[in-house]
Amino acid sequence: MTHVRGLLKGELKTNMAAVQSGAPCREGSRPLSLVPVRCCICDLDDADPLAVGEDFEYRTSPDTFLAVRCRRCGLVYLNPRPDNRELDAIYPSDYHAYEFSEGRYGFVYKVRRWLESRRMLSCCKGLGDEARILDIGCGDGFHLDLLREFGNPKWQLEGIDPSERAVSAAARRGLTVHQGLVQTLSLPENHYDLAFMIATIEHVDDPPGVLDAVRRLLKPGGRVIVVTDNAASPDARLFGGRHWGGYHFPRHWNLFTAWTLRDLGRKAGLVVESLGNVASPVNWVYSIRNRLVDRRAPTWLIERFSLRTPVSLGVFTMIDTVLSWVGKGCLLRAVFRKP
Amino acid sequence: MNVSERTPVAIVGAGLAGLTAATFLRRHRVPFILYESGPRVAGLAATVRDDDGFSYDFGAHLITNRLASALGIGAQCRTVTTYGEAVLLGGKMYGYPLGLMKIFRFLRDALVSRTMPAPVVDSAADWFRATYGKALADEVALPLVEAWSGAAAADLAASVGEKLKNSVWKTVQLKLAALRSGRAVACGYSHEMPESGDVWHVYPEGGIGLLCRRLAAEVEDGIRLESPVEAIEVDSDRVRAVKVGGVTQPVSAVVSTAPVNVLSKLVRGTDALEPLSRFKYRPMIFVNLQFDLPGLLPETFLWIPESGYPFFRLTEPTRSMPWLAPEGKSLVTADLGCDVGGELWRTSDEDLGTLCLSHVERIFPDVRGKYLGCRVLRTPIAYPVFLKEYEPVRRRFEISTGVDGLTSVGRNGEFAHLLMEDVYWRTLRKMRGLVASVPTLAAA
Repeated sequence: MTHVRGLLKGELKTNMAAVQSGAPCREGSRPLSLVPVRCCICDLDDADPLAVGEDFEYRTSPDTFLAVRCRRCGLVYLNPRPDNRELDAIYPSDYHAYEFSEGRYGFVYKVRRWLESRRMLSCCKGLGDEARILDIGCGDGFHLDLLREFGNPKWQLEGIDPSERAVSAAARRGLTVHQGLVQTLSLPENHYDLAFMIATIEHVDDPPGVLDAVRRLLKPGGRVIVVTDNAASPDARLFGGRHWGGYHFPRHWNLFTAWTLRDLGRKAGLVVESLGNVASPVNWVYSIRNRLVDRRAPTWLIERFSLRTPVSLGVFTMIDTVLSWVGKGCLLRAVFRKP
Repeated sequence: MNVSERTPVAIVGAGLAGLTAATFLRRHRVPFILYESGPRVAGLAATVRDDDGFSYDFGAHLITNRLASALGIGAQCRTVTTYGEAVLLGGKMYGYPLGLMKIFRFLRDALVSRTMPAPVVDSAADWFRATYGKALADEVALPLVEAWSGAAAADLAASVGEKLKNSVWKTVQLKLAALRSGRAVACGYSHEMPESGDVWHVYPEGGIGLLCRRLAAEVEDGIRLESPVEAIEVDSDRVRAVKVGGVTQPVSAVVSTAPVNVLSKLVRGTDALEPLSRFKYRPMIFVNLQFDLPGLLPETFLWIPESGYPFFRLTEPTRSMPWLAPEGKSLVTADLGCDVGGELWRTSDEDLGTLCLSHVERIFPDVRGKYLGCRVLRTPIAYPVFLKEYEPVRRRFEISTGVDGLTSVGRNGEFAHLLMEDVYWRTLRKMRGLVASVPTLAAA
């Protein structure tokens, strides 16, 4: 990675000409092609600026990004945002969702497996032996793998992900994963009992279109569980000017509150069955990490806040669990039903 | 009805405001034609570069990382790390605004002004005395405002100070954020959108003109260069058409960036804008002095309220943006208020350089040997002059042009001392209002 150390205050005052344009970025990266967009719920571009940031986590480009909030519905979205052709650039090969493995994440991996399996199974209550379950944006198949291990062995499990790397990783686990987009893949309609979109809806370019496509695949009465960052959580308010982990610049294109998630489901022709909170330490940890990185804190301190640090993850899991009891957790979970 | 079949909106002027309006309309699928009288876009938001490697803007311009990100040019902008203002007073330099509080009479009067009941404010002179205290107003603020405006502070409206308000606490907070981050955190710069420690100054590679080039790239096919609008036809208090090159083009609305005194002459079929024809703008000469020195001023801006100088402000843009000059060299811009056709306006560039140099020498002796030459930019419309007599009309104009379908935007179009970021966000806001108020546009 290009070192940020060249931007130290003292050096800058005497050697400004050496200052590079744009945000610090990794070797070989380039400015992205950015496109203006509208609010996906209102179909209007009537928004106020909310935060300016950069790719603090992966340093994939020198661009800086603007998160805006729709003045009508409150949706938070990135505008302008990377063109769809830039996905390979903004999801580098070391992107964590491509290989969340025990080898890389150790103890954290084990805890997350335990927590996530409980959460997922609670969503599967009432499903019969022949249930068909689809995970949209399944990444390396982490969640499907949990269902296979802890769920009903007769369930038919399938995943969808646009990334070749993710699909390969899932295939190595022996999972059935379709490579492509849910809107364009030829999957049978009225076929699935349950769909999961875990940390997916915020990454897609057309959330109503994606949810609409998922609705078509579901059987009447089938459900889709959407888990996404909560743009109205305390961490979002505290770090929302720049460093909030939920922005995940420039990969989270739409960020929701309970209200906007409800609007999204309705726009896609789904019935909102429930809207709740899920505790997660990730945005807390990343928000602090991003702030430390941006303020050029020493590396040893920055490294205390990552997906590999059980202490910070543990502390913020406890904090966020308490917050989620009062409806202010880091993540939102919506259960939508096809009428 | 598809986009091409609908009557277009006419935009007058392809500066920052006009181009912002055009991109807004494009993104809302509203057809438009952008008429620019000159051969190129950007207007006052252009950057001039010379063969010696110096770049000049019309006055010193900075933007923020927020505006750069909104336009998608963040990757082409450099972070500005130092920015400050100082005041020359009695031969000494004081940091602005907090450094001036070291002078007892300024501090005393400022505190007294805070504790007194709010007085009746009739003019800029009253406003500054009530807000800053008598000593600071009389010795610093009012001489500067008068030099800037070319009018007596007692004849200027109190609204001239509206853009200068920022609480002491907020200023301290932002200055601390700048110290902590090593970035030039915007302070008192942005009025349309909130300031915070996360919003700082940046400057685009190759100059401020990049903003307009970026916007123009999105709406290129809608721009008509060298096409001055000759008239805006109004019927029954509603805009109907524009005349360009002798041809009448029906329009659904007009967005003007023209100076308001020009706009009032363009509009036909109503006298609603007639009072604006008397509004004046302050002409300005920017004398850019080149020095073979890495830096000269103590801060980026040096305000000079003392009489006896031809300029009221010196700016060293290269202090904040050293890349505007070749390495080891600097650029100092002297702002000279003047009258079009007056003595200063007619003075040759070389003589203006010599005049400014001789006065810069009074402040910084021995700079003559480092002087390389100068480049002069003149504009007849640098700043609106907020005369009191304009106020009733100006206040009404702030709300509406008085003609349905006619919106006036931008620094000259709004007759307001707007900085670049405010021009952008205000224009977007006004365009939202326009689209909502014209039924055929809202239907888009």
